[in-house]
Amino acid sequence: MKYMLLIYGDENGLSETERKDCYAESTQLAQDIHASGQYLAANPLHPTSMATSVRVRDGKRLVTDGPFAETREQLGGYFLVEAKNRDEAIAIATRIPMARKGTVEVRPVIEIAGLPNDYRMSMEGAS
Amino acid sequence: MKYLLLVHHDEEAFGKISETKRKEMLAESVQLTHQLHTNEQYVHASPLHPAATAVVVRVRDGKRLVTDGPFMETKEQLAGYFLINARDLNEATRIATQVPGARIGTVEVRPLIEITGLPNE
Repeated sequence: MKYMLLIYGDENGLSETERKDCYAESTQLAQDIHASGQYLAANPLHPTSMATSVRVRDGKRLVTDGPFAETREQLGGYFLVEAKNRDEAIAIATRIPMARKGTVEVRPVIEIAGLPNDYRMSMEGAS
Repeated sequence: MKYLLLVHHDEEAFGKISETKRKEMLAESVQLTHQLHTNEQYVHASPLHPAATAVVVRVRDGKRLVTDGPFMETKEQLAGYFLINARDLNEATRIATQVPGARIGTVEVRPLIEITGLPNE
């Protein structure tokens, strides 16, 4: 099963050095779970100051600056993983460095038919 | 540049939409992924199981704290995502307006930080 691990943290909670360490540790985790066949994708996100929210009502688009919700911790990145079950997904989540400072939400992905090539296939196709 | 489009909607209101209409919206989303794929703008997309299936994980002083439920208790919940390639924010925003969820909820557009050293690069 696929799980989305959504990483929330205080955007101003890390020093530059801590942020670099966090990226290095996260990249290592991505390599480790790639080796164990559990990695699909991962990436940090730019801060919510660069977020845009889009709604369409009565055929008109409403575009506003800022994230969907104003919260103390903000979505800062994600891991998309392949795990046998929820416990295995939780075990991966506990290894994400930001789990020690912020919060990781684990959400199972609904597998639907008819989508273009899956992520790994499209990545291989692109390389 | 890569952008993550986070699709939020009110799960309760969504549950009240007819089965036929929901299937139409899903079909429209799948259609959009193929259109993006043709334009080389598609990376990945998927709906998520309802927020009730979420667990949140924190590690404090080396101990793991696992609680049921989503991170945010909001009227609208994260229902799915599109990961896309777009030239700029305008293009990403234009794609966001094509997501069926934008008509009933909110699509948050977030640019990705491109880092080196990840697998598959």
